[in-house]
Amino acid sequence: MDNNNSEVRFDSDQCHLVRIDKQDVAFSAAESRNLLVAMEQARQSGIYVGCRGGGCGKCRIRVLDGDYASKRMSRAWVSPQEEAEGVVLACRIFARSEMVIAPYPPELAHSYQTP
Amino acid sequence: MRKGVMRPGHIQLRVLDMDEAVNHYRDLLGLIEMDRDEQGRVYLKGWTEVDKFSVVLREAESAGVDFVGYKCVDEATVDRLREELVAYGCKVEDIPAGELKDCGRRVRFDSPTGHMFEIFATKTQTGKWGVGKVNPEAWPRELTGMKATRFDHCLLYGPNIAGTIDLFRTVLGFELAEQVLDGEGTRLAGFLTVGMKAHDVAFIEHPEPGKLHHASFFLDTWYDVLRAADLIAMTDTSLDIGPTRHGLTHGETIYFFDPSGNRTEVFAGGDYHYPDHEPVTWEADKLGKAIFYHDRVLNERFLTVLT
Repeated sequence: MDNNNSEVRFDSDQCHLVRIDKQDVAFSAAESRNLLVAMEQARQSGIYVGCRGGGCGKCRIRVLDGDYASKRMSRAWVSPQEEAEGVVLACRIFARSEMVIAPYPPELAHSYQTP
Repeated sequence: MRKGVMRPGHIQLRVLDMDEAVNHYRDLLGLIEMDRDEQGRVYLKGWTEVDKFSVVLREAESAGVDFVGYKCVDEATVDRLREELVAYGCKVEDIPAGELKDCGRRVRFDSPTGHMFEIFATKTQTGKWGVGKVNPEAWPRELTGMKATRFDHCLLYGPNIAGTIDLFRTVLGFELAEQVLDGEGTRLAGFLTVGMKAHDVAFIEHPEPGKLHHASFFLDTWYDVLRAADLIAMTDTSLDIGPTRHGLTHGETIYFFDPSGNRTEVFAGGDYHYPDHEPVTWEADKLGKAIFYHDRVLNERFLTVLT
């Protein structure tokens, strides 16, 4: 059983370089590891680490460049339009090329109504 | 003064992916899957609970808590408390029997902290899972994972906890077992009970309404908490903090996250409460020790990471 994502392979998994824009931070992210956990495992920081499950919103980022796959993330923090524009939760995306990202943590959610 | 509310009855949680959520609550926590309904909701419980279910999972576009229900001694109590809730100023909604499978009618009401609560008195009793009602064995041999025994309580974050705590004490007959007070005497946290447990529900002051901090499940011993930590490592589950001990309630605990980011606690031990006990008070400048008794330092994540 693996609760983070389904296809974890440590040896043959392709890795991509992820840079945090305007910070001296870069880390290697395997395709099967979400960006947030890849950052933690590289002992890097720059994105706030919350629940690692797409629920709390703390690791919200803007993808400035690069391709990625994503899993469902809470609509409390990322609207469908924002997601289409590259606003995502780092714990729910998986690198598919070299990437450049920027932290974009949310304000407190005062009025979100649950769907 | 007790008013006929007995215990936490159920919590409905929103999850982003049902299969992943069932892996967490059934296979890792060791809750028993009891049923599913036509909406796709999954019903579970800890093996020692006599009612049919205590946890309901609903797949949704956001994580968090839909509502928490408390079981009353009888339907007359539900009727009486319904009137008192209306008189208190709550918005009250009557949920018909069967909306939750094998559960009687529920009275749902809102609260100053933005959480939805329910009271009910009727739910099918299937008995403790895996052991007989007569000459029962100590435990069922078929349990898996952490072997969680029951849904115990939840900690909720929201604004105006003074209002919700007053609602629970005045209308529902909960008692304040523990609290955190700042230098001016403002209550930053309140732990409420309707029985001997240290808490049946807890509230911490926070600007965002309706937030879930964690749902908590009871384990028998400290060793079971350590074993839960081993299982979290084995399954590469998102860890929050622990194993450690709380100052508040003195329970032995570990926190981790479900695959949708809802925080889960499993814990053992803890203090007890009688109606003649004064609330136990922790001072806000000792909040680190109140939350994490060994480290004595509060981490940012415990205060701000919510669903």
